[in-house]
Amino acid sequence: MSGSTDLAPGLWTDGELPANVRVGRNSIVTGDHAFKRFLSKREPALVIGNHCTLDGVHFALGPEGQVEIGDYCYFTNAVLLCDLEVRIGSYVVVGWNTSIADTDFHPIAPAERIADAVACSPLGRGRKRPEVVRNAVIIEDDVWIGPNATILKGVRIGAGAFVEAGSLLTRDVPPRARVLGNPAQIIGEV
Amino acid sequence: MNPDRTLSWDWYPGTVPANVVVDETAYLETTYSFLLYRSEADVGVRIGRGASTYLGTMFDVGPRGQVRLGDYALVHGAWIICDAAVEIGDYALISWNVVLMDCYRVPLDPAQRRRELERVSLRSPRRLDAGAAARPVRIGRNVWIGFDACVLPGVSIGEGAVVGARSVVAEDVPPFSVVAGNPARVIRQMEAEGNSDGPR
Repeated sequence: MSGSTDLAPGLWTDGELPANVRVGRNSIVTGDHAFKRFLSKREPALVIGNHCTLDGVHFALGPEGQVEIGDYCYFTNAVLLCDLEVRIGSYVVVGWNTSIADTDFHPIAPAERIADAVACSPLGRGRKRPEVVRNAVIIEDDVWIGPNATILKGVRIGAGAFVEAGSLLTRDVPPRARVLGNPAQIIGEV
Repeated sequence: MNPDRTLSWDWYPGTVPANVVVDETAYLETTYSFLLYRSEADVGVRIGRGASTYLGTMFDVGPRGQVRLGDYALVHGAWIICDAAVEIGDYALISWNVVLMDCYRVPLDPAQRRRELERVSLRSPRRLDAGAAARPVRIGRNVWIGFDACVLPGVSIGEGAVVGARSVVAEDVPPFSVVAGNPARVIRQMEAEGNSDGPR
C-alpha cells in the first residue's frame, strides 16, 4: 500500500493497470483479482477519481462497460458487474461482498435463454447472443452501502442514502433515505 | 499453535496476534483470518475449548474491539466487524459469508463521514477507525446462523435460536425461535428441552 500523501497518480498495487483505466492521484486499487474479468473496450473504460481506496474490488466489465467513480470513495471487496454504465459519485462507501450489476446477464424468455446458452457455449463461436436488458446504475454522493448488499440494474441511489447490510435494491432510493430488506424498503431517514 | 504463534498447517505466512488467546484444544484453519485485525485490547479475541474457525472467517477488529468465541463454537466463514464487542456463545454454529457487525465503522451523518473519508486517504494502511458509535452484538449459546446472513449492530440473538440463510437480523431474536427473511421475522418457536445438556 502506498500510503503516500503526495500528488502521485493512483496505482494498482498488484500489477500493471489496463491501458483504458484512469486512476486519480492518491487513489489505490488493491487485490490481484481486480482486473481478472476486465473485458471493456471503451476508452476510457474505468475512471477513478482522487483519494479513493478500492480494496479487493472486482472490476468485471463487459466489452461495452464503462464505470466512473468520484473522489474519496472507500470500497471493500465489492463486485462491480458492468455491461453498460455504472456511475458512482464522491464519498461513497461500499461494504464487503456487495454486488452492483447494471445487467440481467442473460435474457428472461425461455427460448431466448436456450439461444443464449448455445451462443455462450464452446460451440457458439461467432454466434450472436439475444438482447439482454441493461440499465445504468447511478449512485450519488455520500451514499453508504453495507456488506452483502445487492444493487440491480437501473437503480439510482440518491445522495446521502444509507443502504443497510444485506439489502437487495431493485428500485430507486430517495436522497438520505435509510433502506433495509429484500426487496429494500425505506425504514427511516439519515 | 506453534511456540512462534504460527500454525503448522497454514497456507498463509502469518502468525496469531499476541493478544489473541486460543485454547489449546481449539482449531484455527489459517492466520489469514487476522489480516485486518488491529485490536489493542488486553485480549482482542478469545477462542474457547474445542472451538474452530475456518477459511472464510475474518477478524476485522478495531483498536478497542473484543471478540469472544465460546466452547465448541464453529465459525465457518463470518466477517466479524467489531469496534466494541462481538460475543459468540458455546456450541454456536455460524455458516459461510455471514456478517456480524457491531458498528458501521464511519459516522452515519454524511458531513462527518466526509471528514473521516478524507482522513483515511492519508493513513497507511488505510483503515477506517473513526471511533464511530458501536453497539455490542451477542450471539447466544447454541445459536445456528445460516449462510450469507447479516447481524446488524446492537442485536442479541437468544439461546438456541436458528437464523435462516440470507436473513438480515435487525432486531433481537427470542430464545429458541427460528427466524428468516430480510428483515428477519420469527417463523417458528422450538422446545427448549435438552438444550442445557452436553459437555461444558
